[in-house]
Amino acid sequence: MGNLIVKADAVDLSFAKRRRVFGRERFQVLSNVSFTLNRGETLGVVGRNGCGKSSLLRLLAGIYQPDSGVLIRRCASVSLLSLTLGFDQNLSGRDNALISGMLMGNSRKEVIRKLGDIINFSELGAFIDEPLRTYSAGMRARLGFSVAVTMDAELLLIDEVLGVGDEQFRSKAMHTMTERVTSNQSVVFVSHSKYQVDALCDKVLWLEKGKVMEFGDTYTVLDNYHSFIDQSKNLVV
Amino acid sequence: MQLSKVFIYEVFFAKVLFNLKAEAARTYLGYVWWILEPALYVLVLYLVFGVLIDRGTEDFVVFLLCGTIPFLWFSKTIANAASSILDGYGLISAMPIPKVFFPMVVVFQDAVKQTFVFVLFLLFLVAYGVSPSPHWLYLIPVIFAQFLLIMSISVLVAAITPFFPDFKFVVPTGTLLLMFGSGLFYSYRVVIPEHHWDTFLLNPMANLINNYRLVLLDGFSPDWAALFFIMLGSLACTGLILIVLNRFDSTYSRLVIQ
Repeated sequence: MGNLIVKADAVDLSFAKRRRVFGRERFQVLSNVSFTLNRGETLGVVGRNGCGKSSLLRLLAGIYQPDSGVLIRRCASVSLLSLTLGFDQNLSGRDNALISGMLMGNSRKEVIRKLGDIINFSELGAFIDEPLRTYSAGMRARLGFSVAVTMDAELLLIDEVLGVGDEQFRSKAMHTMTERVTSNQSVVFVSHSKYQVDALCDKVLWLEKGKVMEFGDTYTVLDNYHSFIDQSKNLVV
Repeated sequence: MQLSKVFIYEVFFAKVLFNLKAEAARTYLGYVWWILEPALYVLVLYLVFGVLIDRGTEDFVVFLLCGTIPFLWFSKTIANAASSILDGYGLISAMPIPKVFFPMVVVFQDAVKQTFVFVLFLLFLVAYGVSPSPHWLYLIPVIFAQFLLIMSISVLVAAITPFFPDFKFVVPTGTLLLMFGSGLFYSYRVVIPEHHWDTFLLNPMANLINNYRLVLLDGFSPDWAALFFIMLGSLACTGLILIVLNRFDSTYSRLVIQ
């Protein structure tokens, strides 16, 4: 048990939908979600769009608190990496990297010390001093990935970012991720790529409409998930 | 996981600094606008009230500036703070961050700019023929009381907007109403019947403007009791909203992100 980094027990999460001024309708994003993650393991999260994968990562990052159930995280620093990166459009890439790095739980000095590494890894060159609104989606992803990878957090949460950027950066990112995963990094990894999940994850959590369909070893869960997808495809056709 | 207290202050001041820098970088004249904008404003007031409409009272321009300069600080910051939590979408969706961070950044950012406005204002007074006096030091507690008031109202409107985004449209009307009730263009001693003076001065902005005029026009010391109550009330209000923001932190995240 001492090896546990995350333990979710019957976690529920719901959102309020705005309808009228008074009276709100709630909708359930996650219901009765349970799983565990050991230190150094990589957990893959799969499921169709809107099944609650991103909300689960935000829950793990501490952005949301569960409505009910217990979520235990035994780590000092978490970093969430997603396509909607925590960046300010008007600040330069350099300033954004500094702010994000600090918000991940590092001191200003620490981040400044590693800023060179971040900029090198991102390969953004002179663009690092341009405001973020001038960046392409790929460049933003590069910067976000570089910050998260350089400022090592105890728990790394990755939301479908390995699929962006150009071929060269993608393979570099994939290579770094593989290195991290094989070292003692704990990772929760959301992806639609069967290949990536298969290559990186020790365990897989399959979500469907906010509920856990299956939680177990990568091979079995992925197999069941994909036959489920194929089945629903056939139903549509 | 919570950010340690020290780190959050570091991030805070870095963010204020970077925002000021980025704001300046978006225009051709950059930092010059910090001085130029209030200077243009003073110039317009001077042309209209000092030259075109000569009211006879020689210090009418000074009287007006004592009202409008503090009031503009108030109304601008409140307007900027109103949607600050909603505008923080990027950071809120990526990190656990106390929501009070966002209105506070706005308050400090505007306070830095306002410092330059006050310096310019005092320089204008000297150029206009008002002789500087040690009395002007009394401005410091008045300005500090206003800073605390602005902080409390900013945090309040920022906390309401995520629940009722429509509130954003009420804020400008509210400040406009407050403007007419704060005696920017008139002296309450002339316009308002004496038995309503106390009620009029219950409006903290009207009270502060009165204090600015007491110090700069009349050469009196400020109304210490009033300043004390404004500071105390503002701090209490800020503390209360802080508790609410922390208690409902996760709810705010969901409101902003969805």
